[in-house]
Amino acid sequence: MEDSNFDYEGTLEACARGDQAAFKRLYQQEAGQLLGLAITLLGRRDQAEDCVHDALVKVWSNAHRFDRTLGQGRAWIYSILRYRALNQLRGRGRLVQTDDSFIEQMADDSPQAEQHASDQSDGRQLRHCLGQLERPRRHPILLAFYRGLTHEQIASRLTTPLGTIKGRIRAGLRALQECLQA
Amino acid sequence: MIPHDLEPRRALIGEYVLGLLDEPQASEVRDLIESDREAARMTLEWERHLLDLTDQLSPQAPSPVLWERIQQTLGWSANAVAVTPKGFVRWWQSLGLWRLTSGALALLVLLSWLPGVMKPEAPGPSYTAVLQQPGESAQPGWVVTIDGDGALRLKSLVDDQIPEDRSVQFWTLIDPQDGPRSLGLIEPGQETMLSAEQIGAVQAGQLFELTLEPTGGSPLDRPTGPVLYIGRAVLIASN
Repeated sequence: MEDSNFDYEGTLEACARGDQAAFKRLYQQEAGQLLGLAITLLGRRDQAEDCVHDALVKVWSNAHRFDRTLGQGRAWIYSILRYRALNQLRGRGRLVQTDDSFIEQMADDSPQAEQHASDQSDGRQLRHCLGQLERPRRHPILLAFYRGLTHEQIASRLTTPLGTIKGRIRAGLRALQECLQA
Repeated sequence: MIPHDLEPRRALIGEYVLGLLDEPQASEVRDLIESDREAARMTLEWERHLLDLTDQLSPQAPSPVLWERIQQTLGWSANAVAVTPKGFVRWWQSLGLWRLTSGALALLVLLSWLPGVMKPEAPGPSYTAVLQQPGESAQPGWVVTIDGDGALRLKSLVDDQIPEDRSVQFWTLIDPQDGPRSLGLIEPGQETMLSAEQIGAVQAGQLFELTLEPTGGSPLDRPTGPVLYIGRAVLIASN
């Protein structure tokens, strides 16, 4: 969970100056959540730990390339993790059998959860905006995010034609950004 | 082709961030992000929004050797400790020695081999909880004990076969309003120890349960699978 008291930007800048203690604080703060996402994407704990290892090594060695005028530090860290995990997934070729019931659950998300998300004041309202999409647009976006599936894989998972899936995701993202900018 | 207009461009970057673009389009967007600050900003903006989905997942405790591995890769050999056998790591964690400074640590590592050195002078209350299958009251499945130091021991009395594509996750619930808290994955049939730091303060009536989850544990911050065993903590000594 994000800790609003943790200074991600300052910590990354300290890492860029070679501050090992700062990097250790970052590890203690974020490794568990990074691993949670990596396990969800990769489906296997051993590969997920490899992924977190590679991503954090990259965070350290590329910390000087982080620029706080471009965006948040935590978002930057997760962009590295997801990129790494997606490469691992694509390189693997075959899909691991996964239990997607929690994604189904979120695709059917209750209005209460949406409400909760929209109550957060710091503008983090993706779940609220996702909740406003129709299920056929929301579900493929969740599969792409949590499982790193490609268009083709989503189409076959949802037994929907490829062109339809591409169109729904694109329309879903357009609607999302409209909602997020509002 | 990268759209010139802002909104279609932002949406395309969203697809890129989700990993949905094929080559050569993915490379085009990557080049754009490298060279165009506005595109880089849009990328991190999507990533920031997506953190909302990341934070729906419950954190998973990394294995103790992950940090050592990272340090070794980075060549911080002065700090890097050789990979230790599993039993030692567990003992190490259970004492919570990580909180101590290295000087005190070296001393305590020596002292702690002597029995009783690590025990606090006045132990706190101890508890036990018998976990049973929901609706069953005759057959205990697992026993939880929390000793006066606050350390928890989870012991199996049954030999359960867990499907290969499933994990068993251990949870506790103090206040239903706060929701359950994951105490990590357990190996069926094996004894699990958790330190006082990992478990936190225990109170009478506190709920413990084991649920069947997807491999690697529940992807959410709450159980998603069926309850295998459940029980409440009972005070056995208040000292």
